[in-house]
Amino acid sequence: MCRPGGWLGKDSGVVSDRAVKVWAWIAAEHDGGAPVSMAAVCSAAARRLGVDGVSVMAVSDGLAREPLSASDEVSARLEELQFTTGEGPSADDFRLGAPVLVPDLESAAARWPGFVPEAVAAGARAMFAVPLQAGAIRVGVLTLYRALPGPLSAGDLADALVFADFALQLLLDASSGISGQAGYGLLNGLSDSQAAVYQATGMISVQLGVSLEEALVRLRAHAFADSAGIGQVASDVVARRLRFDPDAGADA
Amino acid sequence: MAATVDERLAQTFVELADTLVGGFDLMEFLHMLTERCVELLDLEAAGLLLADSRGTLQLVAASTEQARVVELFQIQSDEGPCLDAYRTGQPVIVPDLTASQATARWPMFTGAAREMGFAAVHAIPMRLRDQIIGTLNLFGSAPHGLDPAVARAAQALVDVATIGILQERATREHELVAGQLQVALNSRVIIEQAKGILAERMRVTPDQAFIVLRAYSRNHNHPLTQLAADVISGTTDLVAVSRAKPQPTARRKQADR
Repeated sequence: MCRPGGWLGKDSGVVSDRAVKVWAWIAAEHDGGAPVSMAAVCSAAARRLGVDGVSVMAVSDGLAREPLSASDEVSARLEELQFTTGEGPSADDFRLGAPVLVPDLESAAARWPGFVPEAVAAGARAMFAVPLQAGAIRVGVLTLYRALPGPLSAGDLADALVFADFALQLLLDASSGISGQAGYGLLNGLSDSQAAVYQATGMISVQLGVSLEEALVRLRAHAFADSAGIGQVASDVVARRLRFDPDAGADA
Repeated sequence: MAATVDERLAQTFVELADTLVGGFDLMEFLHMLTERCVELLDLEAAGLLLADSRGTLQLVAASTEQARVVELFQIQSDEGPCLDAYRTGQPVIVPDLTASQATARWPMFTGAAREMGFAAVHAIPMRLRDQIIGTLNLFGSAPHGLDPAVARAAQALVDVATIGILQERATREHELVAGQLQVALNSRVIIEQAKGILAERMRVTPDQAFIVLRAYSRNHNHPLTQLAADVISGTTDLVAVSRAKPQPTARRKQADR
């Protein structure tokens, strides 16, 4: 199993207890040696957050949706329902990127008339959706459901946000292929250098003529390939010691 | 100066209250708050840290580059009065950064802060009911304690900042606080991304890009976070605008000083 901190460990700086805890939960779900998977994220979240099921949906351009993983049949059904009706907490507009928390699904029947009756019939009475996002980058939604109504506790919500953060990283890193490689870990070091990481993301998007999402994928992949801390690579980009060249990948 | 701290504070509240209605932008609000802290309380600089969902402090606003550097250093080295204020929930007053008590407690932080020209630091926790959500940090260039009138004014400003964070989406429920902070921090990330895009396109530093962003936001009454999102999506082209004419940095609403 990859060591906590993994490839980003070098300058990971302060990693909160909550992130360490959630990472340990995810690590405990997947087979030793196997790459960390979205299925492990979903099953760990379902087990630890006091909910009955968890799923992750990928969203691109706010439109196209693709179910990525679900911890159980009901979660898979709920994703399918949200997809077909175009309604529901994770299909809903995440205004400003806030989580959508619905402690009593039946009370939202007027808001989502097509979705709620079917979701209740499928076995859900409370749903909570958290965006997988980093600033203007929005790549998916983590959705939790419970068979009984009731709010998510403050601690569980805080943990859910960390799960969403890990799911975001996994989704980004899967697209560059690094998430399947040896030595890959999720307990990242964005915290100490976050401003530089996102400034660098903006700069790289202009250098390569790509979206912010693609730029962040490239930045993370570059850090992984160099076994460097992402904060260090980002600082090099901001200080203009490193440029990403559209023809040659990254160029010093 | 003629006006007392209380009078200037009252004036600031009127100004801040203005921003709480219509077109409210949290990042703009928090930046203005750090700048007003400096003016009102006769300080060198101010910075504001908020805890993210992992419980790690993140810098959301700083009135100067020096304050930004010191705040980031503090987060990175996991040591300093602001972190202590966050962890204990109590204000941490450091009248003299060269005092042995201070240098022994925060050896790395005191060095970095002095290097940036600061001689005194006061960190005030931001409290929301039973939860500490961040800290407001005040930096002085000469050794000084915290005058009781100034301390009261600073506390009032901290309370206003907390209200501002909740303002973005009215919320009553305790459990939503984490979501609310998430929104605030995500706005910060959107601004950093826009700074990077502008920095690369204009061949300037991200800090210079922020000045352009901020000036445009004020002069065109275009809320900062929305403007940043528009820069990212390409709907507002600040590069073309800044080529056409240099942006003045005058405040939209000038205090009388």
